[in-house]
Order: sequence, then structure tokens, then C-alpha cells
Amino acid sequence: MKSVITTVVGAADSASRFPSASDMESVQGSIQRASARLEAAEKLASNYDAVAQEAVDAVYSQYPNGATGRQPRKCATEGKDKCKRDFVHYLRLINYCLVTGGTGPLDELAINGQKEVLKALSIDAGTYVAGFAHIRSRGCAPRDMSAQALTAYNQLLDYVINSLG
Amino acid sequence: MLDAFSRKAVAADSSGAFIGGGELASLKSFISDGNKRLDAVNALSSNAACIVSDAIAGICCENTGLTAPNGGVYTNRKMAACLRDGEIVLRYVSYALLAGDASVLQDRCLNGLRETYAALGVPTGSASRAVAIMKSAAGGLITNTNSQAKKMALTSGDCSNLAGEAASYFDMVISAIS
Repeated sequence: MKSVITTVVGAADSASRFPSASDMESVQGSIQRASARLEAAEKLASNYDAVAQEAVDAVYSQYPNGATGRQPRKCATEGKDKCKRDFVHYLRLINYCLVTGGTGPLDELAINGQKEVLKALSIDAGTYVAGFAHIRSRGCAPRDMSAQALTAYNQLLDYVINSLG
Repeated sequence: MLDAFSRKAVAADSSGAFIGGGELASLKSFISDGNKRLDAVNALSSNAACIVSDAIAGICCENTGLTAPNGGVYTNRKMAACLRDGEIVLRYVSYALLAGDASVLQDRCLNGLRETYAALGVPTGSASRAVAIMKSAAGGLITNTNSQAKKMALTSGDCSNLAGEAASYFDMVISAIS
């Protein structure tokens, strides 16, 4: 899984040389910013359920019938549960991305093939965008986390929103 | 290839869990000891040629049969291959130490090494001994307690954890080839 350190090691290995001074500098730079990322990951891990619930509420206020897909839902709660499950899934991958410091987990486990899946299931990507846009506007420093941590977290939310757009 | 951070992500993903409190504690110590780690990697890479040639010279001194006709490093060609392999092992150990995870060492260096050495007729006892000598040299260099004059001028601190981590990677090499 890609991160700053594995990229550096991969480059050094393909040139079969020992880690050089510039490799060390790259790793050092990533380590310096890592504590903010880990703070965001920690806060998200302890509060993801409420965040996902807010996203679902935002989706259903904008799309009262939800992302109905090919067949109309028999009951409204089924759709809401699945919607929340998906948001929790994305938030979990954002949590991994915050820990690894790259977008590898999101790319490998969600974004690759995302459009095709949504299209095949006739789900409007706009529903997810509505939810993520709401979460994106809700984060607040220093109430939720420090400013630097919030920047890292918002950056990944933007990344997901852009991938859906 | 994984590092200490992506290792946590892969482990958490297998159970679908978020990475929270307890899991993050070890990563926080990775970050707070980041400079020590970089110094330790630098200690290995800056002294690579010295560590390797000492280890290979060491096995030749301990076992004079190695350089005799039909010995493991008889002929300059075999000796050169031995020095090259020592450097490759040390290089992958330094990658593993930088990443804080053994996957790069396991996947790219040790996977199939035992079979390769068996096919080439490399004496595994001597090869393991060379790695063991590199291990003790690396320990001295990382903790900056080596007896030679080649000490690094840096802020002193307790690097015994990192020396232990490096030793565990060398042990992995030894158990992979013997």
C-alpha cells in the first residue's frame, strides 16, 4: 500500500542504493506532518457513527426518496441503513488514509471501479456528494480537532467528493 | 510493500475496523522517535561498506577453509559475490528499518533465498555467521557504542529499541537462510 515511506524505499530499491540523505528528508517531512493526521484519525475513529448519521440526514433532506436505485425501496429505513453503511465504509477508508498519509486505501478499496458500480446500480453519485459536502462543511477547529488535523481530514473529503463528481 | 502505517491499515481492513486509540499509540511513538530512526538508518547506510567487509573478513578468519581451494569464497569471483550479497542483505535491512516493517525485506530479499543458496551451493552456516557479525556491528553503530573511532556526532539518546528492531530483521535473515 502506497505511502511516502514505501515510495521512497521503492525508488531507492530500483536504483539499488542505500537510503540517501534526500530520502531521509522526505521521510522526515512526512513524519513531521503525521501527528496532525493521526489526531484526525483518532477523532474520526471515536466519532464516525455520528458523522455518518449526519451525512445520511443531509442526503435524505435533499433527496427525500433517497438513492432509490433500479427498484423502489419497500421501506424507507432499508435505504437509510444502506446509505449509512456506505458512509461508514468511506469514513473508515478516510481513517486509513489519514493513518498511512496517502490516498492508497481510498484508491484501492473504493475509488477504483466506483463509477461503474454506481452506474450499474443506478445510484446517483449526487446523493453521496450531498452527504460528503455536508460533512465537509460541518468540521470545525478547534471544537472537533486542531486546525492542521482538520485540514488533513477535509483534504480527503474533498478527494472523495471530486472522485464522485 | 508496507510500512508501519500501512501495516495498521491492512490489519484493520481485514476486520473492517477503524484505527483508533490503542492502535495509534505505537504509531505515535514511531513519529516521536522519527529522528532516532533516521539516524539509525544513516548509521547503517553510511557505514555499509565497512560493516559488510568486516563481516566477510570475519567469516574468512574464523574458518580458514573458506578461502582454500573448494572453499565457499575460493576465487575472487565467489568472494566478490559474497561481498555483494552481504551488501544486499544490509540494504534491505536498512529499508525495513526505515519503513518500520519487515515486508520489504521478506518479499524482495528473503523470499526464495534459501532455495537459491542451496542451488548455488552457498555454505549457509558461514552466510548466517556473516549476517550475525553484521547484526552486532549494526547494534553498536545504532546505539553509537561501537569501539572504533568512527562514532557519529549527534544528540545522544536511548536507541536500544531501534537496535533491537534492527537485530530482529537480521535474525529474520538468519532464520530464512539457515
